[in-house]
Amino acid sequence: MAYGCRVRISVLGHQSVHTPRGFSVLPDIQKLRARVVSRLAAAALGSLLLVAGCATSPPTNDPEALAAYREANDPYESFNRTVFDLNMNLDRFVLKPVAYVYRNVVPDPIQGWISNALANLRSLIVLANDLLQGEWDRANNTFVRMLMNTSFGLGGVLDIATEFGVPRHDEDFGQTLAVWGMNEGPYLVLPLLGPSNPRDLLGFVVDTAFDPSTYIVNVAGVDAFGPARFAASTVSGRAARYDQINELQRTSLDFYAAVRSLYRQRRNDEIRQGRLAAATPGLMPEPFALGLEPSPATASDR
Amino acid sequence: MILNRRVLLGAVCAATVVLATPAAMAQATGADEFIRRSGQRAIDSLTVQSIGDAERGKRFREILRGSFDVPEIGRFVLGRYWRTATDQEKTEYLRLFEDFIVRAYANRFADYSGETFRVLQVVDSTDNDKLVSTEIVQPSGKPPVRVVWRVRGQAGAFKVVDVTVEGISMSVTQRDEFAAVIRSNGGTVAGLLDALRKKTGN
Repeated sequence: MAYGCRVRISVLGHQSVHTPRGFSVLPDIQKLRARVVSRLAAAALGSLLLVAGCATSPPTNDPEALAAYREANDPYESFNRTVFDLNMNLDRFVLKPVAYVYRNVVPDPIQGWISNALANLRSLIVLANDLLQGEWDRANNTFVRMLMNTSFGLGGVLDIATEFGVPRHDEDFGQTLAVWGMNEGPYLVLPLLGPSNPRDLLGFVVDTAFDPSTYIVNVAGVDAFGPARFAASTVSGRAARYDQINELQRTSLDFYAAVRSLYRQRRNDEIRQGRLAAATPGLMPEPFALGLEPSPATASDR
Repeated sequence: MILNRRVLLGAVCAATVVLATPAAMAQATGADEFIRRSGQRAIDSLTVQSIGDAERGKRFREILRGSFDVPEIGRFVLGRYWRTATDQEKTEYLRLFEDFIVRAYANRFADYSGETFRVLQVVDSTDNDKLVSTEIVQPSGKPPVRVVWRVRGQAGAFKVVDVTVEGISMSVTQRDEFAAVIRSNGGTVAGLLDALRKKTGN
């Protein structure tokens, strides 16, 4: 099997813009732009890193190996594994211990409040993506939830809406792009952000740029909200999956490959809104026939 | 964030409730009834707190053999490499695969905390299996977990051939993982067998 190492450089965004921070409560246009540009620059850095990885050449002379290669959809595997190891070390020495303390020290109800509030902060993004996908009922649910939980739920701390029979669902622009017919592209593991692909990365950038809370700027010019929220949702999410991740690490032969498979399947399920993939043969004599092509669900299978 | 989104949400919690027993299924008429009874029997048998790991593993294996078509699942999971494996490799693989499943899932029943499940619907798959959709209700008030059982065979002789938790097929996940192990061991099944032996302590 031949390994070719190609290096390509691509820059999505431009260089960062230096904007002096002001002291006004409302962000001015310049500040907004600087925020957006810095986010895009971060994304550009990500994309730059990703294409700098060594792509493993498909083994063209071996049809079986070629099929396996296509199925894994992971041409940047060696680069991805490096980032994955980096992420896992960060997890082991920083995130996991913090999550351990969080789940064992913070009382359960408060953990629930934090997770509810974080979910509520995403409401506008979920609503926008419901609408962009033409999911009117779900959009209505999200709208009702946002109003109820923000008001009676004390800023989203309590999930009143679920108790009234309007359960939560999630959406993001990566899913919207999939519904619109965009392919996922190759599997990517991003520093800090973890498993992704170009479609989901683009979705993340667009969601972040769209989110009004991205533009909250502190009076004193200290911009702590965004990082604090990111940290809180990271810890809260990690704590919620604490046992599952332990189990998966304990039982897997190749943890990286297991996560890659789970990510793909989970995203496809989210794109289908959890509907049964009746057309997807789950277990057939010929695994080649599996509906695991990179192409996402389109309107016809929904 | 690391391993963010709900990638792993249900992937590993299926085991809190699953599985079925073959015995006394004479009354079972449909695939939904098969899943309903079997699930209850598994809960009754495996979640007993007083039994040790060894006994739980033993009971789990009996249930696994009775209600799941383990060789069929094993063949699927090995995928294209099944054809290239020697007979001896196949035999050893199926034995190790069963050990691997028992090791991975049996002890999860020890953490059982009152989950219940209900059958939502049964649909025919395009390849003549029954897809039994169930919902696992968590007593903690967390959202229910969607689990779909792929059931093959005729009434009275049903066997589960795949379990899908929140859209994640256990068979597909295992197959992808095994394929990666084989690829990183020069494309030979022997490399996978070695890894399985180590994992299962054989």
